[in-house]
Amino acid sequence: MSPFWITIAILALAALGYLLGRSRSVRLAGGDTRALHSRPTYHGWHVALFTALPALVLLALARLLQAPGWLAPAALALGVAGLAVALSRTAPQFRARNVVEQVVRGILIVCSLIAIATTVAIVLSLVFESLRFFRMYPWQDFFFGTEWTPSFGGGSELGMLPLLWGTLYISLIALLVAVPVGLYAAIYMSEYATPRVRSVVKPAIEVLAGIPTIVYGLFALVTVGPLLRDWIAQPLGLGSSGSSVMTAGLVMGMMLIPFVSSLSDDIINAVPQSLRDGSLAMGSTHSETIRQVVLPAALPGIVGAVLLAASRAIGETMIVVLGAGAMARISPNPFEAMTTITVKIVGQLTGDNDFASPETLVAFALGLTLFVMTLGLNVLALYIVRKYREQYE
Amino acid sequence: MDDVRMVERVVDTDARDIKFQCKDVQVFYGEKHAIKDVSVDLLDKTVTAFIGPSGCGKSTFLRCLNRMNDTIGIARVQGRMLLDGEDIYDRRVDPVQLRARVGMVFQKPNPFPKSIYDNVAYGPRIHGLARNRAELDEIVEKALRGAALWNEVKDRLGETGTGLSGGQQQRLCIARAVATAPEVLLMDEPCSALDPIATAQVEELIDELRATFSVVIVTHSMQQAARVSQKTAFFHLGNLVEYGDTDDIFTRPRDPRTESYISGRIG
Repeated sequence: MSPFWITIAILALAALGYLLGRSRSVRLAGGDTRALHSRPTYHGWHVALFTALPALVLLALARLLQAPGWLAPAALALGVAGLAVALSRTAPQFRARNVVEQVVRGILIVCSLIAIATTVAIVLSLVFESLRFFRMYPWQDFFFGTEWTPSFGGGSELGMLPLLWGTLYISLIALLVAVPVGLYAAIYMSEYATPRVRSVVKPAIEVLAGIPTIVYGLFALVTVGPLLRDWIAQPLGLGSSGSSVMTAGLVMGMMLIPFVSSLSDDIINAVPQSLRDGSLAMGSTHSETIRQVVLPAALPGIVGAVLLAASRAIGETMIVVLGAGAMARISPNPFEAMTTITVKIVGQLTGDNDFASPETLVAFALGLTLFVMTLGLNVLALYIVRKYREQYE
Repeated sequence: MDDVRMVERVVDTDARDIKFQCKDVQVFYGEKHAIKDVSVDLLDKTVTAFIGPSGCGKSTFLRCLNRMNDTIGIARVQGRMLLDGEDIYDRRVDPVQLRARVGMVFQKPNPFPKSIYDNVAYGPRIHGLARNRAELDEIVEKALRGAALWNEVKDRLGETGTGLSGGQQQRLCIARAVATAPEVLLMDEPCSALDPIATAQVEELIDELRATFSVVIVTHSMQQAARVSQKTAFFHLGNLVEYGDTDDIFTRPRDPRTESYISGRIG
């Protein structure tokens, strides 16, 4: 029997266990369910959980460890055993409800542990591969080198500064677009818009958040890039490249607008109405109230929102590939093609890879750098947002 | 003894000028007729208490006096409300300027999340009442003294206002309202979130404020109305049932509804 059918069989057994457990508890109570400690449903779930859980765990372990084939039928046998044990425990005074709740709590804990374990695993894999890289390539040259010329034949320069420059430059432009526009949109929605306008505008802005970034990238490549080149860069003599920091930054900024506006909107709405009333009652206008009372009160939260947007910007890849090109260089001119850390990670890992060469392994060092940067921003953002929460609760 | 004082008070209040003259005021919240035909004259340098059961319209009426109801889209006000003879619902009146003349203190203390100093200086700064820092300092100190808070906070004006105790916060809000130099001070159940000691302090303060302002206070506590006010208005189901000297209202009410409310049978 294949593991798939065994799983189905175990689940069917559990369903049977549910029915058996429920009816047995009713029968033991002599038909009067009030005599039971737990309601019949809990007795049913108790039997079902004891049938399914140990068997499924065993089955999963058997698959993972590639244990011999007889373990799979053994899982089915374990399910039958669990069913029998649980059924025999069923009694009017048996606390099935408490047992079921404890098991459910255990499942919840395991799920959250899986999320944490994933993070740890990712970090560990990054760290170990990065360490391998730094054994082959001096860390000073990586962190402080200004040349990025990887060549798989050897003799590559793998300085990350040009990539860091591109990343920060593009993110900065993106934030310069997204923060004012997003924030002003949020102020309009939360302070001025009537409920009817708001119910239309807010979802409309949030549609932006649902567009895949590759589509934004196409928009940058086909529309924004040529537009900037023909109307601004060339007339001003700043360059003739369709891909530029400005293109990627602008489009990335558009992508971040719903991020900033949606979070800021929630935060501004969380400012108590009593503060607005207090300010209005002293004869200040609506806009004075917003500038001097509402925004300062919401500021920590807004800063948090901006930092979250920044970490999105730093980690963005697709818009940069299509909008800014793949040239690693340090230049102040925003109309030149540049590139970012994320793009180069993709670049180093596509094609035929030799996972023993520094040219490939550098991707992990870059990934680790990126991870540390965004982690730092996120931690800072969460810290600020949390501090803000304490103020009103 | 009590009778002598009562007589004094009556003479006292009769001599005062009328600050607010309200004539046939109607307020609608959407379809709901919240205030019906209320006419009342509020006196200068007097504490007037609005009492009545919950939902009787006393807070609504109070919020008409500085047009705070304008901030609620569905509220409509009809009738005339004259402040020093000028209709505050006239098209030429800017509600923002009106609110600088008619200050308000709310039920729950609502200090801004700024320093104590900035809380009090907020109004004067907005309205340009001080020409320089020294003058502003003076206004802030005067307002805090006026709100009987100066001695408690003078060494920590830079700390945030939200860190004060409930009673201190409410006095800070009163100082904030006073600093704008209003002519009328509206108070919407200013003590309902305070403990008895803080309540006593605020009540004492209200009595002192009477020297400078016309004070209108909404309260659920009839004892409080009796303690702090000279005039009392009893609202019931949107009607102004009875208005007169506080002592008269509490000792010999004319309307049976007033009588049953103050004796605790309705509300």
